[in-house]
Amino acid sequence: MSHVDDGTLHAYLDGELSPPEAQGVAGHLAQCPGCRGRLEEERAVITRATKLLGRAAPPDRVLPPFRPRDVKPLARLWWKARLPLAWAATVALALGIGMYVGGPSGTHRVPAAEPRQPRADAAMKARRETVAALSMRDEIAASTEGKRAAAKPAAPSISGTVSLGDGRYVLKGPPVSVDSARLLLDADPREVPNLPIRGIYRARLLGYSAVVVVEQALDASTVIEVISGRRVPVALEAAVATGAGVEQADTPSAGARALLGRNADVPAAVPPPSPLPRARRPAADLFLDIRGPLSVDSLAALRRLLQPLRP
Amino acid sequence: MPQDLADVYRTTYRALVRFLYRKVWDAERAEDLAQEAFARALVHKPTNARGWLFIVAANMVRDEARRAARERRHLTLLTAESQATVPPSDEALHVENEWTQVRTALERLTPRDREALLLWDSGLSYDEIAAQTGLALGAVGTTLARARRRLVEAYEAGTKGEHVARG
Repeated sequence: MSHVDDGTLHAYLDGELSPPEAQGVAGHLAQCPGCRGRLEEERAVITRATKLLGRAAPPDRVLPPFRPRDVKPLARLWWKARLPLAWAATVALALGIGMYVGGPSGTHRVPAAEPRQPRADAAMKARRETVAALSMRDEIAASTEGKRAAAKPAAPSISGTVSLGDGRYVLKGPPVSVDSARLLLDADPREVPNLPIRGIYRARLLGYSAVVVVEQALDASTVIEVISGRRVPVALEAAVATGAGVEQADTPSAGARALLGRNADVPAAVPPPSPLPRARRPAADLFLDIRGPLSVDSLAALRRLLQPLRP
Repeated sequence: MPQDLADVYRTTYRALVRFLYRKVWDAERAEDLAQEAFARALVHKPTNARGWLFIVAANMVRDEARRAARERRHLTLLTAESQATVPPSDEALHVENEWTQVRTALERLTPRDREALLLWDSGLSYDEIAAQTGLALGAVGTTLARARRRLVEAYEAGTKGEHVARG
């Protein structure tokens, strides 16, 4: 047998040769000191490379539970939304709308901002309208999901990585300042005024790399979390609005209506999507999620109070 | 979840996270993406779930990289801030340093070499690596041999360069 090349040596050391091949290599190595020397060199390279890779390995964590019940509705919605929207599918996928649409069951998201008025003198008016629109939607949404949100256990947290919700979608990182939060959102994060703020965190929701959690304390034992999401580009909003009608006609499930079908819920509150050039990104949408171990009424009342958080 | 996918989850989840981590360099993000890949597998019910998951995961990372480019400015600013608030210990600095050097060395590899190496290190066999990368089965060993050697060389060049720089 001729000398063994490096690739074969690696396959041999990796145990990836077939038994006859491995026997052939072993036979050659037995009588060829040169190849034996190279075998040891390559073994050292493998050991070293493996060790280096081990230094850049993710932290060893316990296997998180995989809960298909949480996932299946999302998957179904994702496809349903996608089919009538073949043209928009790429955009929607790239922005992770699948996760947004399905969401973790039992949480509630409220699309918050109306497209903002560009003029400065209209800013205050727009904000009031936003709050009004919020409360309208809350009345509708609270009846469908409030009970589950209310049943959620408290998730008080300290700094560090803490899982929120069902532990899969949102993860909090180290605390950030209001300024950082605003930078992430391109807008003010939201808070319920006059409640102590326990911390502002950058967090992530799958598909949304910038989610800001404002954690507020009602008292020592009760924490509410106001979650503000990053803006969604207009083009995506248009796609979602188009998909809403189809979705609603098909399955008026709570999750679908709260998110996909939100325009159908409150048609008057949301103007038809205008074909704005995406580069401008002027009229965008925050999504808000306020949750805590509170009664439905209390959550709804708190949502009505939401205001931009200023440093 | 069909039983077979549950098995695949148990045996492959960590490997998938390991693979993704070396692409996104963020443990939580890697886990999010792995969960998402499994969520998609539930819908598509691929026959070879394990291989399929790695392909989908690689594609998700690629898609995300485009998105991330738009947000990089924000994240950079945030990183700078969090470093300023918590001064790291010497030991943490050392670990961080090694981590960065391995990462830099990995990024010096050609995409094909790196992919093969990461897949192997995540526990895929030569057969699976060949199927995933399009390499001929006979070329996997050669590719891995080259990738490993270059990784070690790039890492050592990096540490030497640093010592020289520190004088």
